[in-house]
Amino acid sequence: MKSNRKVSSTVLMAVILMMQPALSIRALAAETRAAAPRWSVQLEKIDPANLNIDAAFRVAIYENLLDEVIKTKQFKQVLRDGDRNAQELQNLVILKTTVESYTPGSETRRAVTTVSGATKLRVRNRLCTREGQIVLERTSDGSVRFFGGNLRATHNLAHNVAAALKHSTLPDVMPSVRD
Amino acid sequence: MIQTIARQKRISRILATLTLVMCSRSALIGQNQGPADTPNTGTTALRVTHILGFEGISSNAAGDLFIQGDALRFRKTQGVQAQIATDLIRNVTVGEQDRQVGGVPMTLARSATPYGGGRVVALFSHKKFATVTLEYRDLNGGFHGAIFQLNKGEGQVLVSELEAKGVHINLPVVGVSNQNIQESKNEVK
Repeated sequence: MKSNRKVSSTVLMAVILMMQPALSIRALAAETRAAAPRWSVQLEKIDPANLNIDAAFRVAIYENLLDEVIKTKQFKQVLRDGDRNAQELQNLVILKTTVESYTPGSETRRAVTTVSGATKLRVRNRLCTREGQIVLERTSDGSVRFFGGNLRATHNLAHNVAAALKHSTLPDVMPSVRD
Repeated sequence: MIQTIARQKRISRILATLTLVMCSRSALIGQNQGPADTPNTGTTALRVTHILGFEGISSNAAGDLFIQGDALRFRKTQGVQAQIATDLIRNVTVGEQDRQVGGVPMTLARSATPYGGGRVVALFSHKKFATVTLEYRDLNGGFHGAIFQLNKGEGQVLVSELEAKGVHINLPVVGVSNQNIQESKNEVK
């Protein structure tokens, strides 16, 4: 009985010791991320290219994208297109979104047939500096295949774009004169 | 004799209960209809569902949309209110959407219906709605977009009221059938 207890306590100690470095590394990474100066981002209006995309879709992509980018906490500030506060910001990148393909679907067709009626969207995102230098370029997709309205595709798309931004590394910001 | 009196008492009790139920119901109906009319606004209050984008209002909130003075106001059923000045609105687009009714409970019920009965139900459980998309700028110049869902045909009421205020309106292109747009797949090469 006593030996059993001793073994279990040893195992517990070993597990704690093994987990400690991993936890401390994660905490350190989070700390450095929080402490590091971060970029601010301004979201440009959605460019429909020459596609016949519904205004509701354009607006839904924009608003969902804004929400999702804020949720990532990757940027110091998230600004809207045309926001005058952007002029004062030192480290600003601009997120340009161009719709590459759009397949309008039908909720009823999805409900009746299951296999057809999907709404699909594909966009190209470019993260540029003020000078026009491209920092990051990604293509993301969003679709709704089974449940939900057509506009749900825009939510899925925004989620994917934000995930791509979160998993990419941005270049270090230049230290400003004020800093 | 005693039996007759007892029966009369019972009938009078039933009648009293019915009268009470009727009175309370009519009072409740009166309460519900009150805010939808908004007589002090001067314009028609439309019953709408806010899909997304209007600042300070949660998504899928139901409420009344109306113009009061120089502002477009949205008032939620619980009394929460948000507004934008009509001169900040840059563009209004009217569209149409075909949606399944009943939400999640209906979807679950359809899925649970045996022998593909849910698909047959889906064929008949859809409804056409009008959508109104507003594009506007805030006081800092930031771009905003808001989408509202209205009953079919009501979009035009809102549009004509906004047009009277000098707002730019984008009407759907006449001659291009909705079905054609839906079938086509657009791609940029």
